[in-house]
Amino acid sequence: MSAALLRCQDLVVGYAGRGVLPPITMQVLEGEFWVVVGRNGSGKTTWFRTLLGLLRPVSGEIHWPTPRPNLAYVPQRSAFDELYPLPALDVVRMGAERGLSFLRPGGGQVQAARQALEEVDALPLAARTFRSLSEGQKQRVLLARMIAGQARLALLDEPTAAMDAVAEEEAMAMLDQLRRKHGMAVVVVSHHLPVALRHADRLLFLDPEAGVEVGTPEQVRQSEAWSARYGVHGHD
Amino acid sequence: MTEELPTWSEFIGAWELFADPVLCATAAGAVLGLLGVHIVLRRMVFVAATLSQTSGLGVALAFYAGIHLGFELDPLVGAIAASMLAAGLASLDPRRLRMGRDSMLAMLWLFAGGAALMVGDRISQEAQDINGILFGTAVLVRPQDLSAVLWVGGICSALVLWARRGIVFAGFDPDGARVQGLPVRVLDLGLLLAITLMVAVSTRALGALPVFAFSVLPAIAALLAVRHLAGALPLAALLGALAGGLGYLIAFFFSFPVGASQTVVAVAFVMLALPVRLVRGSE
Repeated sequence: MSAALLRCQDLVVGYAGRGVLPPITMQVLEGEFWVVVGRNGSGKTTWFRTLLGLLRPVSGEIHWPTPRPNLAYVPQRSAFDELYPLPALDVVRMGAERGLSFLRPGGGQVQAARQALEEVDALPLAARTFRSLSEGQKQRVLLARMIAGQARLALLDEPTAAMDAVAEEEAMAMLDQLRRKHGMAVVVVSHHLPVALRHADRLLFLDPEAGVEVGTPEQVRQSEAWSARYGVHGHD
Repeated sequence: MTEELPTWSEFIGAWELFADPVLCATAAGAVLGLLGVHIVLRRMVFVAATLSQTSGLGVALAFYAGIHLGFELDPLVGAIAASMLAAGLASLDPRRLRMGRDSMLAMLWLFAGGAALMVGDRISQEAQDINGILFGTAVLVRPQDLSAVLWVGGICSALVLWARRGIVFAGFDPDGARVQGLPVRVLDLGLLLAITLMVAVSTRALGALPVFAFSVLPAIAALLAVRHLAGALPLAALLGALAGGLGYLIAFFFSFPVGASQTVVAVAFVMLALPVRLVRGSE
């Protein structure tokens, strides 16, 4: 049986001590592909940021195994400060930084970063500045950053938000492929249900009014909360 | 009748007199140029302006205390204390007061500027010219001020270069850096401390105006001129050093105020870099 990389027990997320969602209990196992779905403003990003320790939980617990697995976080695209003229290669190298590693000479990271870029067919972008890349190219670079960081658990917040349908499908397929190859677990926040349902083997459905559902896509789609929001056969 | 301008041989002949201020301006320009890249990228330009202005107020207050209150306080200590206080206020979260950070900085900057002029009004006839403190008209630099600039500059630039990858990661993607266990808050405060100390000791030696100029203009020019951050850091340090040294020479040969001359040279670098960026495109 796969080991749990992350476990939430009755986790309530919100702001200023006020929960925005019902309690969530779930666990992410090695190699799983989770998709977190819900409408805009449903609390997906709040849940995500709480999980990552960027917000305090209102109540409940988050358990990490010891030692804590290598995490990779891809925030929403607006979280990157694109004033920085960083070449894509340097952005990928950031994936390997942990704790105080930035104080050590980092020559060895360059080769690993180049290999990671090659793996996502983005090596020709290495010297281009990150801010000059298209959304699809940026996502490839960020996937390479996850690989370079040898992440066991990757958390991506709406990574395909600015992409058209074709680019989104390509990005999700590449993510799925990398997940299988490197054995990492992936948790993706998305509000694009068809793509999410195609790739997810576990779904977390969040809705402040209809409720929270956790399970396989089939289980979640048969739930009352899902039906209340999307109808019985919604988003096939 | 036209006044005759000084010559190179006069400058070289009096080099012993000018060596310290030229070295001080060059060193301060280089270190502030390096730090300035982080100041510009982190949108802290107004922080740098406020720190240099409050350092000027600290220097003026130290003189005032010595002259009128009989309390001897080294102006360098006054500059550091005032700028540390300003940095502390600038690092508070002003949203609790329903105020933007720029509003708070503007208030501090205006208070420091106004108060420095008021304090200067009481000391200018007896000891120091407040213009020298605020606009950098001082031609000479005390050995202890040069020493402070070299020591603080050396330590700050060494630390900022050593932690460069962490500082850049924390600025570019702060949440990603936190998730990967980087001490983002420590890096932010450490960078602010380095900037505060360097601005304070440089303001005491050179004046507030050139110090603010060195803190932003070489960095802006470098970021315009080169494609990547790795090239911008050394270039900004070089341009800062050149602005300090060349500005002093221009002031000497054409009888301009030193700080104003150094500032205009730094602006000229930005003007020269602009067409480079326009030709190269917006990448």
